[in-house]
Amino acid sequence: MKIATWIDNRENHRFFLLVQKFIEEYLEKKGYLKVDLPVLSPALIPESYLEVFETKFIYMNKKERIYLTPSPELFLKRLLAFGLGDCFYLGKSFRNGDFPSDLHTFEFTILEIYKTNISYLELAEEILAMISYVHKKIKQEKFLSDPTWRSPEIKFDYWEKITVAEAFEKWAGMKRDVLFDHKQFLEKAKEKGYQVEGFSYEEVWSQIYVQEIEPNLGLGERLTLIYDYPKEFAALAKLNPDRRTAQRFEFYFQGKELGDCYTELIDWQEQKQRLIEEIKKRKILRKVNHRIDKGFLEALKYGLKPCSGIAIGVERLALVLLGLSSIQQLKLVSIINED
Amino acid sequence: MKINAGNLKKGDFIIYQQEIWQVQKADFYSPGKGAALMKTRIKNLASGKNIDYAFKSTELVEIIEVQSVEMQFLYRDNENLYFMNERNFEQYSLPIKSVGDSVRFFKEGEKMYVYLYNEKPLAIRPPLSVTLKVTETEMAVKGDTVSSARKPAKLETGAVVMVPLFIKTGDLITINPETGDYTGRA
Repeated sequence: MKIATWIDNRENHRFFLLVQKFIEEYLEKKGYLKVDLPVLSPALIPESYLEVFETKFIYMNKKERIYLTPSPELFLKRLLAFGLGDCFYLGKSFRNGDFPSDLHTFEFTILEIYKTNISYLELAEEILAMISYVHKKIKQEKFLSDPTWRSPEIKFDYWEKITVAEAFEKWAGMKRDVLFDHKQFLEKAKEKGYQVEGFSYEEVWSQIYVQEIEPNLGLGERLTLIYDYPKEFAALAKLNPDRRTAQRFEFYFQGKELGDCYTELIDWQEQKQRLIEEIKKRKILRKVNHRIDKGFLEALKYGLKPCSGIAIGVERLALVLLGLSSIQQLKLVSIINED
Repeated sequence: MKINAGNLKKGDFIIYQQEIWQVQKADFYSPGKGAALMKTRIKNLASGKNIDYAFKSTELVEIIEVQSVEMQFLYRDNENLYFMNERNFEQYSLPIKSVGDSVRFFKEGEKMYVYLYNEKPLAIRPPLSVTLKVTETEMAVKGDTVSSARKPAKLETGAVVMVPLFIKTGDLITINPETGDYTGRA
């Protein structure tokens, strides 16, 4: 990897910061409290699909392992349990394991918002209004510096919505009963030509999702919200009454995932069980064996009000609003892959 | 030989669904649910068509060892391109459709690398740059000084490309055959 500087990105960079400013402006108007949080933590929530950066705190001849946070969730849920109320974090998060590419950097700007007494699909409406506001403000600012600039055509009157089960039936030809039954799902995947021997339901599922579902999401004039994922993909989300799906949605534009939202799981005993599952999966996947944040469960035990939370990749959102194609176009300095 | 899909690189030749493909692009990708994937664009060497395919990063993929041999491009007919290995005068043919668009810039007598697998030609490695003569282009309109302005020019192979206004008939120019872009004056 190497350091790259792009002074010509000055204008894009200015707008990337404006996107953040307008997000804050909107959320503060709506009564959300902005919080600043650590990015280094001695313990983390175990999540099987995330890889983390590990480093060491060194004092004299003593060493303690410490991690860069992949999301601010562990801190924000504590604060919510202690009664902070509606809040957001807008800052850096870190995810290990992927080279930088057009849509990914291992160090990225995350917007994580929590609102109490609201479900995931209700929070979705607030988010749509927020993005619509930022889009409008960006358009006005752009007009001042370049009256010929044409903003990407996006409509914000409603979400294009589809459930995960509907999406698999429509684009992958896999019916609901097959989708949730591990054995049938793997058989069907094999028939479709996927390698399934030695792979878990989760691994094959995410392959088909990326191969056959994602490229179709958000291709129209509106953002697409895809919701109700199999429970295997939502360790921290509340389950639906069907007990097969979780209250999780993601939203997309032009095949790019922009954000991920849950109705948060507040039952500490169920959460404990699910985290044990995640720890097992992390072991099998040989992920960094980090210390488990027990205080997170303690906070749930103390009592978390019903709430929903969403994480948005701010660079990706800015790309969509500015009509750009690579995160690097927003940055003055980037760490990039050598070739 | 089988390798983890996570180790695939641009340029590798693989066997997938019983056919031979060349990797055009490979990006490691963790979608935030399930396992990490290797998102690739692969080109089918029989049909010349590209597809996007996401492998699981730990899935085993058969890669094949391919020889790259310098050959002279002899001529083309309606279906094939013909090459000769200058060391042993062995001749080989490749279907035009497997080569793609860059074929428009191939001049008879040019040297290029042909990939051989089990003594059979698979594909060519297009040169990074080719030098060709402009056979036909209009004189630029005087006063048109926008530096980014372009005009069409016909090359000795018959291909038409966009060039800067100062290029004249008879000039030698360089082209990137993969993209078809003008890259400079030779």
